[in-house]
Amino acid sequence: MAKAILYDTTKCTACRACQVACKGWNELPAEVTTNRGTYENPADLSPTTWLKMKFREIEPGGKVRWLFTRRSCMHCTDAGCVKVCPSKALYHHELGFVAYNKDLCTGCGYCIEACPFDVPRSDRNLLTGIAKMDKCTLCTTPGLDRIAEGWEPACVKTCPTNALQYDDRDKLVAEGRKRVDSLRDAGWANANLYGENELGGLHVMYVLDDHPSVYELPVNPQISAATVAWQDAIQPLGWAVGGLTVLGLGLNYMVARANINREKEKKDVAGS
Amino acid sequence: MTNHWIDIRNSDCIMIIGSNAAENHPISFKWVTKAMEKGAKLISVDPRFTRTSSKADIYAPMRSGCDIAFIGGMINYILNDMERNPGNYNMEYVTQYTNAALIINSNFEFDDGLFGEVKDGKYTTDAKNTWKYGDTKTPAADPTLKDPNCVFQLMKKHFSRYDADTVCNITGTPKDTYLQVCQTYTATGQKGKAGTIMYAMGTTQHTYGTQNIRGYAILQLLLANMGVSGGGINALRGTSNVQGSTDMCLLAHILPGYLNVPMESDADLDTYIKRSGKNPDATITPQGLAGDKSSNWWGNSKKYVVSLLKAWYGDSAQTANDFGFHYLPKCDPAKNYTHIGMFEAMGEGKIKGLWCWGQNPAVGGPNSNGEREALGNLDWLVSADIWLNETAEFWNRPGADAASINTEVFVLPAACSYEKEGSISNSGRWAQWRYKAVNPPGVALPDLEIMNLVMLKIKELYQADSSAPGREAVTNLVWNYGDVNADMVAREVNGYDLTTGKLAASFGSLKDDGTTSSGNWLYCNQYTEEDGNKCARRGAVDAHPKEIGLYSNWSWCWPVNRRIIYNRASVNLDGVPWDSEHPVILDYDSEKKWQGDVPDGGWAPINQAKEGEKYLPFIMKPEGIARIWGYGRVDGPLPEVYEPWESPLDRNLMSGTKTNPCAFIGKYRNERSTPSEYPYVGTTYRCTEHWQTGIMTRNLPWLVELMPEMYVEMDEVLAAEKGITAGDKVVVYNARGEVNAVAVVTKRFQPLQVGGKTIHHIGVLNHWGYSGMSTGDSGNILTPHVGDANTTIPEYKTFLCNVRRA
Amino acid sequence: MSQEVEKYSKPTRILHWVHLVSFCILFLTGLVLFIPQLGFLAQDSVTRVIHRIGAVVFIIAPLIYIPMNWQATKRGIKEAFSWGASDIGWLKAAPRYYFSGDEKDMPPQGSMNTGQRLWWLIVLVSGAIFTITGLIMWFAKTSAPAAVLQWMVFIHDVAFILAGTMLLLHIYLGLFHPLMNEAWKAIYKGNISAEYAKKHHAKWYEEVAKSKEVKS
Repeated sequence: MAKAILYDTTKCTACRACQVACKGWNELPAEVTTNRGTYENPADLSPTTWLKMKFREIEPGGKVRWLFTRRSCMHCTDAGCVKVCPSKALYHHELGFVAYNKDLCTGCGYCIEACPFDVPRSDRNLLTGIAKMDKCTLCTTPGLDRIAEGWEPACVKTCPTNALQYDDRDKLVAEGRKRVDSLRDAGWANANLYGENELGGLHVMYVLDDHPSVYELPVNPQISAATVAWQDAIQPLGWAVGGLTVLGLGLNYMVARANINREKEKKDVAGS
Repeated sequence: MTNHWIDIRNSDCIMIIGSNAAENHPISFKWVTKAMEKGAKLISVDPRFTRTSSKADIYAPMRSGCDIAFIGGMINYILNDMERNPGNYNMEYVTQYTNAALIINSNFEFDDGLFGEVKDGKYTTDAKNTWKYGDTKTPAADPTLKDPNCVFQLMKKHFSRYDADTVCNITGTPKDTYLQVCQTYTATGQKGKAGTIMYAMGTTQHTYGTQNIRGYAILQLLLANMGVSGGGINALRGTSNVQGSTDMCLLAHILPGYLNVPMESDADLDTYIKRSGKNPDATITPQGLAGDKSSNWWGNSKKYVVSLLKAWYGDSAQTANDFGFHYLPKCDPAKNYTHIGMFEAMGEGKIKGLWCWGQNPAVGGPNSNGEREALGNLDWLVSADIWLNETAEFWNRPGADAASINTEVFVLPAACSYEKEGSISNSGRWAQWRYKAVNPPGVALPDLEIMNLVMLKIKELYQADSSAPGREAVTNLVWNYGDVNADMVAREVNGYDLTTGKLAASFGSLKDDGTTSSGNWLYCNQYTEEDGNKCARRGAVDAHPKEIGLYSNWSWCWPVNRRIIYNRASVNLDGVPWDSEHPVILDYDSEKKWQGDVPDGGWAPINQAKEGEKYLPFIMKPEGIARIWGYGRVDGPLPEVYEPWESPLDRNLMSGTKTNPCAFIGKYRNERSTPSEYPYVGTTYRCTEHWQTGIMTRNLPWLVELMPEMYVEMDEVLAAEKGITAGDKVVVYNARGEVNAVAVVTKRFQPLQVGGKTIHHIGVLNHWGYSGMSTGDSGNILTPHVGDANTTIPEYKTFLCNVRRA
Repeated sequence: MSQEVEKYSKPTRILHWVHLVSFCILFLTGLVLFIPQLGFLAQDSVTRVIHRIGAVVFIIAPLIYIPMNWQATKRGIKEAFSWGASDIGWLKAAPRYYFSGDEKDMPPQGSMNTGQRLWWLIVLVSGAIFTITGLIMWFAKTSAPAAVLQWMVFIHDVAFILAGTMLLLHIYLGLFHPLMNEAWKAIYKGNISAEYAKKHHAKWYEEVAKSKEVKS
């Protein structure tokens, strides 16, 4: 039974307790930041910031709106990162999340490039290329695994307004649809449940009162063509070509040796 | 809070004014959100569009300091609408449970912003007498509300000046938005509907802060929202235990349990009780209402004072010595003992020593430059805190000449809340017991242990010095804790029946003959022989028959575990709840018992009771009914619009009296900013990420990461005029000092049109100081040393300032 | 003793071996990323660091060789791109030859036969691709757009498949194929027997015989 997080932007007050709880539980150090003329901080996700709240001020029709959005791993079913991860450091948890075994990370960074949501981050030594990726594991990090204990993730646990809920994905889809219906009834014509179907269904779904683009979320996110061409075409082809080559060479070796030996014997017989 | 946090979920309309609950009381939004899920409307009134506003159905911008205009206009809207559509209101409640029908002294006059003659910043006694009922003991009532001298008609006349156009011209609120607020909130006046007001420091921190709250009280009473579930006036307390600290008398004008502080003129206990007005003689019995009996609960105050003296002085408190009443310090009525008054005296060199306990006035006090300088006049200063704070380091502040400061500073490292056991009382009056999670670091000690050690030493010193003034007040004080712990203090606070030695059951059992003790009568019943420490209860089942979220077996709340106070106003004269879905008390039955919450007095419904026993619902009032006309305040029986001490306008748009005539104006280093030099309205506030003076949060890297620097907020128009872009370093300054900060230029502040002028706000954070991990200038460098007429709470919320690029 | 001719100069042989070793390192450390079961070898970026060391050698070695052996380089590159009718004949006849050792129909070859030149061409082209895409992935990893980096991986991978399989063939023919013992000698010692040269690189042998005295 897949589990998921439902994030209801309409209930979120951006208190950022989730951001702090994430760092607290996952033992992530604080970053040194500056005020850049906004409440939003740190400036971006990083290996030590797996979850951050985005603040956006808009003024549609002269009415100010202050929008809050969660920036963290969306835990896709069709996860580009899992697809490209060469060492299977990233893998699908039995409950559907994109879990991560950091020990296995090679630092290749393919997941960073493959993520449609621009989530994974690593600190890379540009010269040596030494790197370790980090991202939200939905509190399944070995040793800090809340999910295995049957608990909700730290961000959900701390959310004061229930803007974050953790439950069976089916239940949350139903709950999310209900919220969307009530928002539509309240006049939010573009209300939608983001993540219900995107990328095979996300395990972090958003209740939005407006179009995803208003919240700067990718509309209809896709695994990139490069990922597909690479993983679904070239890699299998590579294995096939490689396999056939080895097979062909083996065959050649046996046939050629037999033939040449026969020729030799003939010569030897003829010569003796 | 008259109600409690969970009860917010039962509301039909929530008006958050003078509060930014989503940011400063994030947990409250659990219940706001629940209410909204069920269709409740949320109104946010604030000069700035906040995180609270972001969730609101209606956001009404309002110039800082204009609550009385805003609420006065709503009252006017209601009073007019009430006459046209009485069916939309609970007129039975308004007539029978408030003093709307009572006849006021016919000499009452209101003229040009004044309620009579003011001398030396005070209304004369003659003026104050005209505010009272025509008959002060047995006032007449006109339930038709037609008598021109009845409260209702006087109010109607007073607030008729508060029409929407006038109001919006003062507040800067767009008129259509304002009328939408009036309409939406007034809809809670219907029987069975409940609206709640959540407020905090945005309301109180004005020179007329008390009258702001009076405005809310009037509004709520006219809409029959007091005593009901989902209603009430809900003060969101600023720190987790500030409710407990006021309950326990951490204010200058009270003793524990809101008993009056004795004055020099109180020659003995009885004089004190008589002067305090909290005695049976003060009872007022309205004539012509359905109810005919006022319980005047404060009439019991002598029992509570005597029990308090027994708790403090034990066997040294006897009938013969007035139970040790003369041991208590007495106040000089000419002096102001509040924060501002204390620092004024300190500035004059009249105070020798200061003990700051979890208190950081160098950042938290108004006019920081002045207060920091005043600290240098002390001989000694003690700072008990979990971190080294700005007050303890005041001598080392930027610009100070440490060599010329002779104050000796002692720092006592204290345990934080997770390092000690005890109760905290939240805004909903719930005293919740908490346990120690970890030991305090190093030599840090829990406050209780620090206090115990200090007091034992003080007693020892007084014991040794037979000529010490007031020696017996100390030597006779019972201080027998030994290894002190919170449990023994909780028992002492609850009190004992001294004849049996058993814990007192409730304040109903306290006596004025010295046979009972109680450290705080309001908390009597928190610790009983049957149930033990009730604050530690963790019953997570809501036993209320309609499950309105009382959770009465979770912790304990004062008084006597009554979760919603004034709850006898939640039923009609026959005892039937106005709201059948969310009744508070219900089903008064043949066994003479109410179901539901602990009733405000268990008497029968008014219509079922015998003549002379028809108890009125507001038991703490001498007249038994709620005062929409509140003559107990020093600055008038009704709220009236005044400008803040520093106003961007040259006159009061409502009257010829510009500022509150009774406001407390400090004299020590309190320069006044003028609108010509400092044209912008400054206002201070907090953000979610930091706490008060920042001492608890500016030292936590995770929180510093979120809000790393002192910042100010301003609208885009002002920023453009000044050439400021988001992220720029700016200086905000006025006559009292200047503050360096990062500019947050935002759509969330908008220029307001007021009296033909464009008004810009500058929002200044009040968390930073020069100590700790994240340092910066304190917003209070800009705030003035002026205070509310009734409480002297500083006017932190409105002042004048200017801004430039750094 | 039969006569011998110098097939590869010493610098050329050194380049070959240095390049081969570095390519094998690159091949193996790259291959790890295709076999999840070997993922543990890549932990803490170990194989990726080795891959970079291999890459440095792979890029630097020819850069040192080329200016010092400019003529040979020119000749080699020319050869890589000189294709004619005999190559088609060779390709037609090659399967028979490699499976049965039957040499008839094999057209006479230059210093490199068609197969060797094909491999040589792949080395040149894939080497350039590896270098360009590799350097972009290395140094523009944090600055280039994700899509660019992803396509770089793709192209690097295509080159890897091509060059990797051909490398297997090359090693097989050089080390294991029953007929190819002298080719191994050529790149190992530099010399091959005149008899072998005549037989397998007739055109080249004639040229060499014309211009040089045959070593005895």
